[in-house]
Amino acid sequence: MENHDNTTIWTEKYRPKKFEDLVGQDDILKKVESLTKSLNIPHMLFAGPAGTGKSTLALIVVKELFGISWKENYLELNASDERGIDVVRQKVKDFARTKAIGNVPFKIIFLDEADALTKEAQQALRRTMESFTGTCRFVMSCNYSSKIIDPIQSRCAVFRFKLLEKKDIEKIIKIIAEKESLQIDEPATESLYEGSEGDCRRVINLLQASSSITPTITQDLINTLISSAKPADIKIVLEYALSGDFPKAKEKLLDVMLRESISGTDTIKAIQKEIWNLQIDDELKVRLTEKTGEIEFRLVEGSDEFIQLEALLAGFVLAGKGILK
Amino acid sequence: MTSKNSLPLIEKYRAKTLSDIKGQDLAISEIEGFFKVFPKKRAIILNGPVGTGKTSLALAFAKERNLELFELNASDLRNRKKLEEVLAPAIKQQSLFSTGKIILMDEADGITGSDRGGLPELLALIDKTSFPIIITANDIWQQKYSLLRKKCQLVTIKELKEEVVQKLLQNVIQKENKQIKPETLSIIVKKAKGDIRAALNDLQTAFTLGEDSFLESSHEREKEESIFNSLKKVFQDPTNKEITSAFNNTSMDLNEILLWVEENIPLEYKGQALAKAYDALSKADVFRGRIYRQQYWRFMVYQNFFLTAGISAATKLKYKKFNQYKRPSRILKIWISNQKNAKKKIIVNKFAEQTHMSKKKAMKESFLLPLIISKSIEKKMDLEEKEQKWLEEKKGAIIIANNLNRFRT
Repeated sequence: MENHDNTTIWTEKYRPKKFEDLVGQDDILKKVESLTKSLNIPHMLFAGPAGTGKSTLALIVVKELFGISWKENYLELNASDERGIDVVRQKVKDFARTKAIGNVPFKIIFLDEADALTKEAQQALRRTMESFTGTCRFVMSCNYSSKIIDPIQSRCAVFRFKLLEKKDIEKIIKIIAEKESLQIDEPATESLYEGSEGDCRRVINLLQASSSITPTITQDLINTLISSAKPADIKIVLEYALSGDFPKAKEKLLDVMLRESISGTDTIKAIQKEIWNLQIDDELKVRLTEKTGEIEFRLVEGSDEFIQLEALLAGFVLAGKGILK
Repeated sequence: MTSKNSLPLIEKYRAKTLSDIKGQDLAISEIEGFFKVFPKKRAIILNGPVGTGKTSLALAFAKERNLELFELNASDLRNRKKLEEVLAPAIKQQSLFSTGKIILMDEADGITGSDRGGLPELLALIDKTSFPIIITANDIWQQKYSLLRKKCQLVTIKELKEEVVQKLLQNVIQKENKQIKPETLSIIVKKAKGDIRAALNDLQTAFTLGEDSFLESSHEREKEESIFNSLKKVFQDPTNKEITSAFNNTSMDLNEILLWVEENIPLEYKGQALAKAYDALSKADVFRGRIYRQQYWRFMVYQNFFLTAGISAATKLKYKKFNQYKRPSRILKIWISNQKNAKKKIIVNKFAEQTHMSKKKAMKESFLLPLIISKSIEKKMDLEEKEQKWLEEKKGAIIIANNLNRFRT
């Protein structure tokens, strides 16, 4: 018998609606809440890892400010999706041209993943922020505040979100387990926390995916799902490289990246993690990791992630000297 | 018959006897003279542009005189031990069998000054040999070959006249039982510039593609030919002082050039050279990224440097091996995969809309979506039938691949 709800997306269903529901970020919460209550909020920058409540807090602020008419007064933009600053500017202009509805004198623009914008785009955005200050407040989110140019940071109140702690995650799991009649034992909870790396969204998605299989959620099930996400093929790529077969490694790499649509940065992250699981000498691991770090740096600076990753594999072929033959 | 037909024309119609070789009568008589006075001079250099029949001449002479042909290349010369193993019996003792030998040193200007030992080894070989050596080269007039030139008889092989190329092609067309318009033929002949190999390759293309699309693609080919030459310079001519201008005459834009280089590096290099070449390419790309982000175009100098001299310095050896360079395949692969992933992308985007996520983030969760998105969520997300079908198939695949049914109670 399945009692869980499969008619809604749980990340939305369990998204905190009020300040007091938000888990983890107590200090930030207090400050933002009092700013909101005073109806006078500055531009804000939310910095922190994925799934720690940045978008959620923005939504809470908006709903608190505007009540039921929040949708008319709120524009959500994704910097990483809206390619080009022109799109962002046009949308911002169109939205900011009209006055806010209700008794709040401004509208809210939420710019998610603002660190995906180039420096030039950020410069342009800074102007836009200034010219619409009268009618709009910007709330921006980013993973790393260092990627946001100083002029923008200095115009914002900066809030740093912490990674959710184990007890926070446990609390969320408990709430959902109760509401959805799921049995989740201690080891499964442990795996959910470990596997999600503090990302609350991932925890909830894992729970909902598991519930489609069984209401009795075990560690084994969670681990199986988590490992199905990790492209196991990254390991094969590395094994080809370390056995000296560059052409195969190259082909497999492209294949994995395209099939799973994973970016260069995510691929190199997976490679860096996988190195430690390889059955090779520790000293070689150190050398491979050093090379990986260098290439990750170049990948950020460069323009073609495939070229950088291929350079990495060629380096591995050389360093490995066919050790994994 | 079919196997014979599938041979490339250049192999099928390679000159087999001296009478097959057209337009090189002067050279033939000079070589005959060399054989007559041997061992007055022990080696002969056939110097001339590509595709004029130098190698064919050597092969035909060997056949005509019933001599065994010993072929050497530049890398053999670098490896003294191997060379001695191979040649010692050939040089010293007279053959036990009645046949004599010819040693063919093909494309000798593949030996550069940096191939320490290569050139001296060849000179020593000429002194020792009791068999005639034929050396072929494209450009023997460089300073470093002066000693070699002194030791050898030098024959200049001229590029083939257009009439000769045309006659050879007509002969092939006739033997193949094909028809080609005179205009097409004359375009092929003009383009070949005396290189019979290029002409036969073009003729083959015209046969297979049909004349119209051959003419269409011949423009594209020109562009590719120039990238071929540039790549060859970068990959195979590390001592060339003008290496940084290797891509100057290429009409492709830099991004395309980078893709060509990337595709072909693994064909040229192995091991340490491979890593070095990729390292240079990676640095070139870093500067490209900096140009994009900062619009500071002086970085172009560095991008170009790493792309040419940087890669070229991956090895000190000048390879003689010719590689047929491949056109970049990555863009096509990405396109195909995008087509394949289109449905997944639509679903992910719709999911992102519903959940205040960027598409990028939603893509990271995509492995769970087929399990999360139930029939009623599908409705809310406004998924089309084909997207629903995709989800269903994917869900089945995930369950089977991970054996998830064992968890069901």
